[in-house]
Amino acid sequence: MTLNRKKFLNILLSLSGIAGLGAIFYPIFSYLIPPKISEPKVNSVKVGSASDFPNNSYKIVKFGRKPVILIKTVEGDFKALSATCTHLECIVQYKSDTHQIWCACHNGIYDLNGRNVSGPPPRPLTPYDVKIINDEIVITSAG
Amino acid sequence: MRKSLTKIFTVIITISFTLLTYAQKEKKEIKDESIDYCVSCHTENDILPNDYSNYDVHRISGLSCSGCHGGDKNSNDQDIAMSPAKGFVGVPNKKDIPQFCGKCHSNINIMRTYQPRIATDQVEQYYTSMHGKRLKAGDKNVAECTSCHTAHSILPASDPRSTTYALNVPNTCNKCHGNKELMDKYNLPSNQMSEYVKSVHGIDLLEKKDTGAPACNDCHGNHGAMPPGVTSISYVCGTCHVNNMNYFNASPMAEPFKELDYHGCEQCHGNHGIKKTSDDMVGVGKNSTCIDCHNEGDNGYIVAKTISSYLSSLNSKYSLAEKKLIEVRDKGMNDIEIGYLLQDAKQNLIESRTLVHTFDTVKVGSTIIKGIDITTKAISLADAQIDEYYTRRNGFAFATAVFLILAVGLFFKIKSLRK
Repeated sequence: MTLNRKKFLNILLSLSGIAGLGAIFYPIFSYLIPPKISEPKVNSVKVGSASDFPNNSYKIVKFGRKPVILIKTVEGDFKALSATCTHLECIVQYKSDTHQIWCACHNGIYDLNGRNVSGPPPRPLTPYDVKIINDEIVITSAG
Repeated sequence: MRKSLTKIFTVIITISFTLLTYAQKEKKEIKDESIDYCVSCHTENDILPNDYSNYDVHRISGLSCSGCHGGDKNSNDQDIAMSPAKGFVGVPNKKDIPQFCGKCHSNINIMRTYQPRIATDQVEQYYTSMHGKRLKAGDKNVAECTSCHTAHSILPASDPRSTTYALNVPNTCNKCHGNKELMDKYNLPSNQMSEYVKSVHGIDLLEKKDTGAPACNDCHGNHGAMPPGVTSISYVCGTCHVNNMNYFNASPMAEPFKELDYHGCEQCHGNHGIKKTSDDMVGVGKNSTCIDCHNEGDNGYIVAKTISSYLSSLNSKYSLAEKKLIEVRDKGMNDIEIGYLLQDAKQNLIESRTLVHTFDTVKVGSTIIKGIDITTKAISLADAQIDEYYTRRNGFAFATAVFLILAVGLFFKIKSLRK
């Protein structure tokens, strides 16, 4: 049995038709039954210039879905900790007069290492790593 | 001869018996320093205290019964072990228990050996408390050290087995304060525990096991336990609710409260049965506490009504934004920025609820406006995401339809070409 040109073209066209239908129906099926895709995990965030960040000050940084408090201490060291209070999830702030992290909701106090030192917070704040790369502050997940 | 032999035999027997008795006595007095004779004898005779336990902090630290009760733990002779000459004091009178424990606990030189950071003013504090004052006056029903700490199963408050561990404190206090018969003698209520378990603090501590939530001692003190006074009550609550305290104390309401002998925070929030606050507490509705004192037409009534309307406007807007956030999330669209904005709006809502204690419509209003602005931004972002979702879906449906028509058309074209 010889494969003439007409037969060959018919097979090629049929295969292309099947592939074309697949290309139309696959997105419909994917739309109806969506594949499970996990949200991309944020591992590091660039925050800005280290030298422009004044000593004894702080700012709240968006780290994926979580707010992180970045503090530059009086001595010029950077500390980054989860900004969500472990008591009732209010956003904490840095008190430049007492050099502590403070939650205004219920007077929860943490030290600069995130340890809960007084008030109702039951656990310490989660620490993040801070690296300075070419004067740029980079916060990364600890560990 | 026979008499002599009998005499000699008697002497030998007497000497042997004397020597044997002496030897036995000597043997008896050979002491094993590793044995705690207080515990071994009392265990043997089944007369250990009912609450005796091997994990008692004093026992673990190497203190024997004699460490508190005196006597000599190394002697197995009861007369020696429990002789006053050896310092034996036995079971102390209830009235003397604070000094009994204070022998060591008020002595910094002793305490720093075991617990360098422990306070040594507990006994001093105790005598400032109602318990201490009454005990001194001869009342034998009041609590002393062992009532709360037990006598022979004492553990540090950080140990979950301890009667003074945060989660166990309410039950420890309730042993006496829940006893109606006993409390009636002092004209005190005995329902504090039943109220506390239903309160916001009780639920957090006892149900959610949040040891940061206040137990009895966090408000009343422990060794110096006292009911908080009229002026001190806001400071007691203010140890956690610091902004509420500061705002209230600086508000125009602080002075009239003092004049009317009102109990600060307690006047509106209650004490042991404090419920989770709601916005209904402010305003002129039936659940409002403002109308307990204010009547229609007076300034306080108008302020309450205004603040209430501010709160409900932000609250309803925030609830709408929350629903939109959930919709965006369910549709698989980007909700990160909306989430951040809502977190800020929630802070504003919390802040404005706290600012209620200023009773200042301007202060509350300005925070509410900030919150509404943020919430509006979050809602428009959410709407944009929802619109984007429908645009994509409609576009996809349109593209699918076009491709399908194209495919069908192609099919018929090929068919006609074959013919």
